[in-house]
Amino acid sequence: MADIFNPTPEHKALREMVRAFAEKEVGPQAEAHDKHETFNIELFRKLGELGLLGVTVPLAYDGSGMDATAACIIHEELSAQDPGFCLAYLAHSMLFVNNLAVNGTEEQKKRLLPKVCSGELIGGMCMSEPNAGTDVLGMGTLATKDGDDYLLTGEKMWITNGAISDSDLGDVFLVYAKHEDRDGRGLSLFLVEKGMEGFSLGQKLKGKLGMRASTTAELVFENVRVPAANLVGTEGGAVKSMMRNLAIERLTLAAMSLGIARRSVEVMNQYAQDRKSFGQPLNRFGQIQKYIAESYAEYMAGRCYVYNTANELALDAMGGRMDSDGVKLYCSTMGKNVADRAIQVLGGYGYVAEYNVERLWRDAKLLEIGGGTIEAHQKNMTRDLAALERLP
Amino acid sequence: MKILTTVKRVTDPDMKVKIKPDGTGIVTDGVEYKMNSFDEYGVEEAIVLKQNHGGEVVVVSVGPSASTKEIRTALAMGADRGILVETDAELDSDAVARVLAEVVKKEQPDIIVMGKQAVDSDRNQAGQMLAAYLGYPQATFAYSLEVADGWATVGREVDGGTSTKRIKLPGIVTADLRLNEPRYASLPGIMKAKRKPLETMTPDDLGVDVTSKVRVIKYEAPEERQAGRIVETVDELIEVLRNEAKAI
Ligand SMILES: Cc1cc2nc3c(=O)[nH]c(=O)nc-3n(C[C@H](O)[C@H](O)[C@H](O)COP(=O)(O)OP(=O)(O)OC[C@H]3O[C@@H](n4cnc5c(N)ncnc54)[C@H](O)[C@@H]3O)c2cc1C
Repeated sequence: MADIFNPTPEHKALREMVRAFAEKEVGPQAEAHDKHETFNIELFRKLGELGLLGVTVPLAYDGSGMDATAACIIHEELSAQDPGFCLAYLAHSMLFVNNLAVNGTEEQKKRLLPKVCSGELIGGMCMSEPNAGTDVLGMGTLATKDGDDYLLTGEKMWITNGAISDSDLGDVFLVYAKHEDRDGRGLSLFLVEKGMEGFSLGQKLKGKLGMRASTTAELVFENVRVPAANLVGTEGGAVKSMMRNLAIERLTLAAMSLGIARRSVEVMNQYAQDRKSFGQPLNRFGQIQKYIAESYAEYMAGRCYVYNTANELALDAMGGRMDSDGVKLYCSTMGKNVADRAIQVLGGYGYVAEYNVERLWRDAKLLEIGGGTIEAHQKNMTRDLAALERLP
Repeated sequence: MKILTTVKRVTDPDMKVKIKPDGTGIVTDGVEYKMNSFDEYGVEEAIVLKQNHGGEVVVVSVGPSASTKEIRTALAMGADRGILVETDAELDSDAVARVLAEVVKKEQPDIIVMGKQAVDSDRNQAGQMLAAYLGYPQATFAYSLEVADGWATVGREVDGGTSTKRIKLPGIVTADLRLNEPRYASLPGIMKAKRKPLETMTPDDLGVDVTSKVRVIKYEAPEERQAGRIVETVDELIEVLRNEAKAI
């Protein structure tokens, strides 16, 4: 029964549970939240009851103690129904929760992990800024030492879960910042909590192409006093934890593309059997066969790459960098192309909400940008590849 | 209170059933298997009984070794231990009932909660036959269940409405859809289930011959339904019902 997509019976049981939950409770709400650009916080908290929000967190902090493969399974299954909702899950569970579980101090973990594993608090991660995205080390947010505390000043942009409604800030954030008196490569990571003076919601962004069921916000930091107890890791040493967390982020973003691709293949495969043209089902036509068969093959290729990488990834280790870039580079564009073909196979019916593929297509595009653009993956991978003489 | 509940591994009811060209069975390639959905209601009710009255939930399946997956799902939902009576034989309801009767004699539960039928073969017999073999009272198609002082009060779905029945325990209750809202197996539940005891035995160990008394001759798909049609007037409806459908 073991296969690379479900290496243990527990992974298989997890997949079945999340699929059943997603089909019954996530799918039916997707269209409305996409349309109104709203985050479904009640449904999100149900993920906490199911033990999914702390999937990679050790049991001692109320997590579920599972691995990168389990995280991929959850993302793939949620995304097959609602990528926007899944993106909010990713920002919380991977970018905040897993990040803190791997890099946080004992006190920070004891204090916050149980509350983010249950969904009582909603978390996010702040790296990008209005003027620094791909060039992340060019960020301008500054942390200045003031006695035992730090003062944080700057702006963060594109922050998923930055707001939970039009006017309310999310609860807890991991924020990357620079120190003026250090060279450009030294970053620190801070826990910033709602209610700290000077920390506010700049704006909740509206009018996104896709991923509209997750919130995206600009956050403002004006001399926010952050106690030393909220420093995560060592001062100036956050680039390592950033890289480590980027690996699981990219892997699970790639798993989201798999969910989009699988659903799109299912939709076009069924439609091409049911719909008749010139007296025949659509799947008798060679051009339609090309769409369906190539989509399936590309989906399976991506799926093997993702799970092969996930099965090898230790959450607390460095490395695996090239393939976490590689899976996202391949799967993000693959997912977008497969959703595009699904629309094409459905013709006019693909262009409207009823069959979901137009929403999946809009959502799929983000995965070529967020968590690193495909160009950034190409850049990183080519640099890493240049160091290799031969491939294994 | 000791509660015994049963689960059957069935083909995923959401998938289209395809019959083999020679009619000897259904195509099982690429088919996913799941816990029978009525059993989910039975397992849920068993767990609720335990929550309210204390005790132990034992979950039993009769079938191939792969049925451990469905038992583990019940354990992940909250059952305490599992028993698999392992056999690859084609089982009819009677064989299942005779196997379960032996398990019940060993386990001596206070109440047995089952699904009212399995969604693969839809036979709706195992619970009733088990009651007959054990000489236990039964209340089928339950939409509500209260247990007190050694009696179960069961609200039942019956043709044309509902009825209430009281049975003295030990007895058998089979679950219908309104009985509860089955919980999902949570991820921590799945991890805990891994360490819960699961005992395997065979029909031989229980002294039961599972040779089927029912012989399947052929599977056939039901005739495809004709598309509906909208008629203009009542007169036309009567005329069509009388002359085309020959229904009146
Ligand atoms: C919906 C959404 C959610 C997001 N969520 C988060 C979040 O939760 N937290 C967070 O920190 N960030 C988040 N982001 C930000 C995201 O990670 C950035 O948008 C992304 O890293 C790209 O940065 P940028 O938008 O500034 O584009 P830029 O970096 O300005 O890039 C613009 C273009 O130039 C290309 N480019 C830039 N540099 C190079 C180069 N050296 N070589 C070749 N091409 C180059 C890029 O590939 C791209 O095509 C989110 C973004 C979106 C849209």
